[in-house]
Amino acid sequence: MRILCVLLPHFPLRCEILRNPGIDARQVIIIYGTGSRKLVLDYSPELTELQRDMPLQQALARYDKAEIVQADMPCYWSTFNRILDGLEEKSPLVEGLELGTAYLGIDGLQLIYPKDENLIKEVIEVLPKTFIPQIGIAEGKFPACLAALHSPPSGHKIFKGDISSFLKELPCDILPLSAKGKSRLHDFGINTLGQLAVFPEGPLQSQFGPEGRRIQELARGNDAMPVYPRLWEEIIEGSTLLPSVTVSLETIILTVESLLSPVFTRLAPAGMGIHTMAMWTRSWNSENWERSIQFKEPVMDMHTAISRIRRIMENFPQPGPIEEVGVRVTRLGYPLGRQKSLFREVRGRDNLMEDIRQLELRQGNTLVFQLKEVEPWSRIPERRYALTPTGL
Amino acid sequence: MVKDTGKTLRADTYRTVNAPQSVEVEEDASGLPLAVKMPAVSNSSVKTPPRRIIKKPMRQVVSGIDERWRIDDEWWRREPVSRLYYSVRLASGHRLVLYKDLVNNCWYRQSY
Repeated sequence: MRILCVLLPHFPLRCEILRNPGIDARQVIIIYGTGSRKLVLDYSPELTELQRDMPLQQALARYDKAEIVQADMPCYWSTFNRILDGLEEKSPLVEGLELGTAYLGIDGLQLIYPKDENLIKEVIEVLPKTFIPQIGIAEGKFPACLAALHSPPSGHKIFKGDISSFLKELPCDILPLSAKGKSRLHDFGINTLGQLAVFPEGPLQSQFGPEGRRIQELARGNDAMPVYPRLWEEIIEGSTLLPSVTVSLETIILTVESLLSPVFTRLAPAGMGIHTMAMWTRSWNSENWERSIQFKEPVMDMHTAISRIRRIMENFPQPGPIEEVGVRVTRLGYPLGRQKSLFREVRGRDNLMEDIRQLELRQGNTLVFQLKEVEPWSRIPERRYALTPTGL
Repeated sequence: MVKDTGKTLRADTYRTVNAPQSVEVEEDASGLPLAVKMPAVSNSSVKTPPRRIIKKPMRQVVSGIDERWRIDDEWWRREPVSRLYYSVRLASGHRLVLYKDLVNNCWYRQSY
């Protein structure tokens, strides 16, 4: 399968430049947080000693004058999705699982674009000018990615025929393998793709399992992985700037309610509910907080949705005072039919009893009674039934 | 959390249903009801009605007796039950069940 790979190097940085062209001339490190750790997401190209996912302390030890920018992942993905939308107009098979890397299945497009250069030109036109794409075409995703990696900035490289001679000198570190796996390859004395390609299959699989077979196929230039096109989904998105920064959970919940209210109004006539949504906030120092919220069953009402959102917000506190709140409904669904629980009524009764008990404690006397049969057969009417307090 | 008042809630909180209500009944010579004076306020929970709108008991003539039956029960107790029930039709068209307590000779109304 012929595949075109579009690499957009330093995608987060280019997104930041799109928003603020001034930072193009400065040394910038874009960071993101996982728990209490701050890691490098992207950096200016001149900061050559940095790597992605490097701890911020190590990055600052090398470049202490660099400007730190908090990553705005919702913005980056929004920009990337717009690019993928544009690419889908060129090919129906577009995969964009990783930020800044897109694969296009181009089998059958020869009738529209007789030469690969025509297609590449069309693809480049889709991309915003800020990005400096590298494009590669080959049989399979991994070879196409390698072709893109070895193409000049804003240029392209096309692999045709046998590429084993090109691959054999490349280091094993370019394989999609964990750092531990790469280290083990080096431990076995396998440093290049050429060495890996001729290594006996049996020992390799005994050490690496199914992954061993896959990396050997990749080293030989074979990649049978198909392109996974994006799933079509209706996305409802909204965000709002708060009048003043806040740390109050109630204020944030109220804001989310106001954002979700039109969503429920829109979905109610169709009998649909929210199945999956994402909620994000941006703090005053541009730090982002985002959580994906999945509901076991599509929620049809605000109360259920808010109670879940509240729990999540209590469990995952905000990084600081919030100035912007946004929601993104990514998956809708219809409510499922379900069998009622045998004990549902019992629980409902228990809740009612508890409410009545609280009410009576507050008022100081018995307010609610239930009618009970005492001697329903009695000839004396007042002996047949009695009113008893609900708790008895 | 609601503060505990310390009051026992459950004692003496049983209430009877369909308890008899005392009424004034005019009897004829043979002891049958001729007229009933219905209390103005039938709701026993209203303890002090407003002074200006107190109504006198309304006298209603009994136009006919549909049925009559007697209950004698709990004769082994200190206060046995002995009642003579009348299902009567009033001049207004309403139906009413009355009984005469044969122990204390008082009249009551009660749904049966």
